Amino acid sequence: MILPGFAYARPKTVRTAIALHNGSQGQAVYLAGGTDLVPRLKYRLVNPTVVIDLKGIQTLTSIIPGRRFLKIGANVTLHDLKNHPAVRENYPALYQSLDATSCETLQMRGTIAGNVLQNTRCLFYNKPDEWRKAKGYCLKMGGPACNAVKGAKMCFANYAGDNAPALITLNAEVKLSGIDGERQMPLEAIFSGKSDLPYTIKPGEILTHILIPGGKTKGDYLKLRVRGSIDYPLVGAAVSLVNERGRVAVGAVGSKPLCFDFDASEAGWVDRIAREVSDAVRPVANTVLSPAYRKKMAGTLVKRIARKLAEENR
Amino acid sequence: MENHKIVGKGVVRSDYLAKVTGEAQFTADIKLPGMLVGKVLRSPHAHARILNIDGSRALRVPGVKAVINGFDGFGIKWGVFRYTQDHAMVPTDKVRYVGEDVAAVAAVDEETALEALDLIHVEYEPLPAVFDPVAAMAPGAPQIHDGYPGNINVHVHIDVGDVEAAFREAYIVRKDTFKAAGEAYAMMEPYAVVAHYSNGFLDLWMPNAGPHVRAKALANLLKMPLNKVRVRHIYSGGAFGGRSEVSPGDFVTALLSIKSGRPVKLVLSREENAISTRQTHDMIAAIKTGVKRDGTVLAKEFEVIYDGGAYSSTGPIAASIPYYVYEEAYRFPNVKYDGYRVYTNKGIRGMYGCHGRAFLAGNEVQLDMIAQDLGIDPVDIRMKNGLTVGEKTATKSWITSGNLAEPIGKAAEKAGWREKRGKLPRNKGIGMGCVAMMTGFPMGFRSGSSCSVKLNDDGHVTVITGIVDNGQGNESMAVQIASEVLGVPLGDINLINADTEITNLDPGAYSQAATYVGGNAVKRACDDARRQILSIASEKLQEPVESLDLRDRMVVSLQDTGKKMPISWIAREAFFRAKPITGVGSYIPKIDFDREWVSKPFGQMAGTYSFGASVAEVEVDGETGKVTMPRFVTAHDCGKAINPMAVEGQMEGSVQQAGVATLTEENLWNEGFLLNPDLLEYKVPLACDMPEIETVIVESHDPEGPFGAKEGGLTVRMNAHSAVACAVSDAVGVPFSELPLTPDRVLTMLEREKEGGTK
Repeated sequence: MILPGFAYARPKTVRTAIALHNGSQGQAVYLAGGTDLVPRLKYRLVNPTVVIDLKGIQTLTSIIPGRRFLKIGANVTLHDLKNHPAVRENYPALYQSLDATSCETLQMRGTIAGNVLQNTRCLFYNKPDEWRKAKGYCLKMGGPACNAVKGAKMCFANYAGDNAPALITLNAEVKLSGIDGERQMPLEAIFSGKSDLPYTIKPGEILTHILIPGGKTKGDYLKLRVRGSIDYPLVGAAVSLVNERGRVAVGAVGSKPLCFDFDASEAGWVDRIAREVSDAVRPVANTVLSPAYRKKMAGTLVKRIARKLAEENR
Repeated sequence: MENHKIVGKGVVRSDYLAKVTGEAQFTADIKLPGMLVGKVLRSPHAHARILNIDGSRALRVPGVKAVINGFDGFGIKWGVFRYTQDHAMVPTDKVRYVGEDVAAVAAVDEETALEALDLIHVEYEPLPAVFDPVAAMAPGAPQIHDGYPGNINVHVHIDVGDVEAAFREAYIVRKDTFKAAGEAYAMMEPYAVVAHYSNGFLDLWMPNAGPHVRAKALANLLKMPLNKVRVRHIYSGGAFGGRSEVSPGDFVTALLSIKSGRPVKLVLSREENAISTRQTHDMIAAIKTGVKRDGTVLAKEFEVIYDGGAYSSTGPIAASIPYYVYEEAYRFPNVKYDGYRVYTNKGIRGMYGCHGRAFLAGNEVQLDMIAQDLGIDPVDIRMKNGLTVGEKTATKSWITSGNLAEPIGKAAEKAGWREKRGKLPRNKGIGMGCVAMMTGFPMGFRSGSSCSVKLNDDGHVTVITGIVDNGQGNESMAVQIASEVLGVPLGDINLINADTEITNLDPGAYSQAATYVGGNAVKRACDDARRQILSIASEKLQEPVESLDLRDRMVVSLQDTGKKMPISWIAREAFFRAKPITGVGSYIPKIDFDREWVSKPFGQMAGTYSFGASVAEVEVDGETGKVTMPRFVTAHDCGKAINPMAVEGQMEGSVQQAGVATLTEENLWNEGFLLNPDLLEYKVPLACDMPEIETVIVESHDPEGPFGAKEGGLTVRMNAHSAVACAVSDAVGVPFSELPLTPDRVLTMLEREKEGGTK
């Protein structure tokens, strides 16, 4: 399967990248590691006239421990981030989610910003063009209705990133740079809640940094998948805990990671949070395992982590 | 007998160097001058009448050199048997599955070809479609082919003894139904074809499991004489049964080359490979078994429904094999088998190296349940009912070597079965699967193989055989046999193989024939050359033939070590005598050629049978249903391991493709659309999913096989799924009902167990 034709640019600064995007009449896409974008291009899920490669921007490649935040450049690879001492020591949920992302070779290629900003996925959507044309375009491709939930007028593609849920439990923030300048906001605010257009990021805006509040946390990330590697999550559950304040984020069911806060000093919190999660998630039949099973597993995985944390706290 | 120089040694295979250095040429690597790129337009409908195909706009695109559709052929339909000729390769009447080849273009590059495809206009009249074989058999279901009421493509009926009487006599009778989803072959090389038509001759390259069978099919479809359709040698990136028969891509590429007068290359994408080449059968197996108090099987009754997809393909064989490999393992005094292969609006289905997991694993799990009810160990009930040399199968095939008990015993011992079965903690399990494989079965006059050998004037050897290699090591096997017989090192032998204009008929890497049939022919041809060499040497050395041997490129006297002569001298002497050393040899297995899959399913089925037993150990996560497999032991009677390293490789590959895949692999469907044609969502087990594997090679020395050899590895491919299914059923405490054993299905089993299981 060959790539479609497009122009390619590799700017050296964020400013040039934004300018290039701005001049493309909305026909440009940003490229980082390419592990999400290149298959999308081959499948004609996105048909840009220009691909702007951000890997040449050197200022986005470092991890800087600061007083308040660990500041992570957008171009840092998943593998480098996983092996950074601050991540290993302070953020077990993130370490585990990085380790569970695809396989090591792809971790070396994929970047943290690219991973966070990956597009939503669906068995009926991530398919070659001929397949989708034969089936009839779904809502996410501009068609009249969803193909996974027949006739539905809404898209149910799953946000299948491993690392955003972990980062959300760590109260991470993101720095965006665009034509109107810079802005900073909580990571969860970049998600629109709509599977077909999953981000609130403005056209041409670049996610330049991820900021994780400093200090030690407890936590973990568990991932439901069929095989021991490569697979995207069918459910991804992250939990982080500082003192008694905890946060759960569940990915791969719906358009964005679902967040739940809890107080680990309350009696019965383990069962309660697991039940709350399982009740809240609404998977549909758009992955290789059944929605009923995934719903159950969302609670099971959260419970498993919570149980472990409760024991550690004891 | 065991005094071999190189047979039985784990030598480095003759194809390895080319493969590890990247020198090996696969079809997609071929570049010919002026070669065009082929692309196929595929059906968007599962079932629709073709009203019109207009390729005129596509033909006007600059750079497009040919546009074809089914009407460019002769309207000939292909089938393995005369009574299954239903496949036009490119249809002109109607399309029968999503992804079926409808038209194609050849252009100077891929971009141009893709642009042209968009301009081919096909007018369809959509028809109601049916995707489920049970629904397809129901009255009123859409009919996919004319003349097949109930969409029943093939019905195999076998009736031996008196099943009803035996069930009345039985101490326990148990009936269960098992289901399994179809699998993808997932060969690492997506399908590719190069066709070059020039001066009335058509040369073809494609990964294939039988060049002669392929050439014949294409010669028929193209109305060309066989000696003008030449399928040439090429390395293959895997077949597993999926590349045994002619493929629509062969016909399409040939037509494009004929029409354009230029070489054309078609390379399918991974997704096209899964959707439009061949798939395996989804299956429902109802199994009824009656046993005596002591565990002796009295009767078996089967009703198996095979989801056959749109065309017959290998229909009668596919609807029979799961049963046969089971009756070849076990003694069934009374048996009734009804195998229905049913047309559905899904892709073409073919034979698979692991074909029949619902049936085979179902039988084995049911046997475990019966053994448990009787208080007998599963190993003992298998040993008790296993066939042995000198016995006949239910459909009257002699077992000429080996037995089931030996691999069972060896696998059980290695696995520590007696210490584990029934003694493991909750959610841990151990299970065994057994089977016996026919080696070389009836393919008419194509069941045999021929080989010729020439001794060159430098003493090096050229072996010419139709044997084809799909990665198993068949080429290396032929070289190793020649080296043994002719006493020259492996490196002195050049193999010319799988090229239909040079090599003689051969069954192909099909029906486990390569070693047993093809290897036998190689051995006979080399024996012939050896006789000629020794005859001249006897004269020259003044020694009787019986006291001469060939070793290290020399003829040597066994009596007087000083007496020897280079083989190259003999070669030259032979040229002087105008009788160059040229050996020929042929072999056809001793089978009953009147036997027919549907009309007469009795008589000697195959030349011999190889036996095997596998033992899987599993752990089940009680909360998620996720299964892990720490260990797998498999014992396989291959007759004689020509190259033990190659046999072990085949056994280990089989553990992955059949065993671990039982936990992960299934084709997922939505109304005729394959939901996981890619290798991300189709779950081929990864390195990290593999168990610790121990292989045990059992050698029963078959009287007919070359050096006693039968086949290497397929037995494991056909029993590893059973071992895993039995192990998971043991761990959970209830029998599985559907494969693969993905965590959601296992969790359902765990819930069933809570509601009244046994463990």
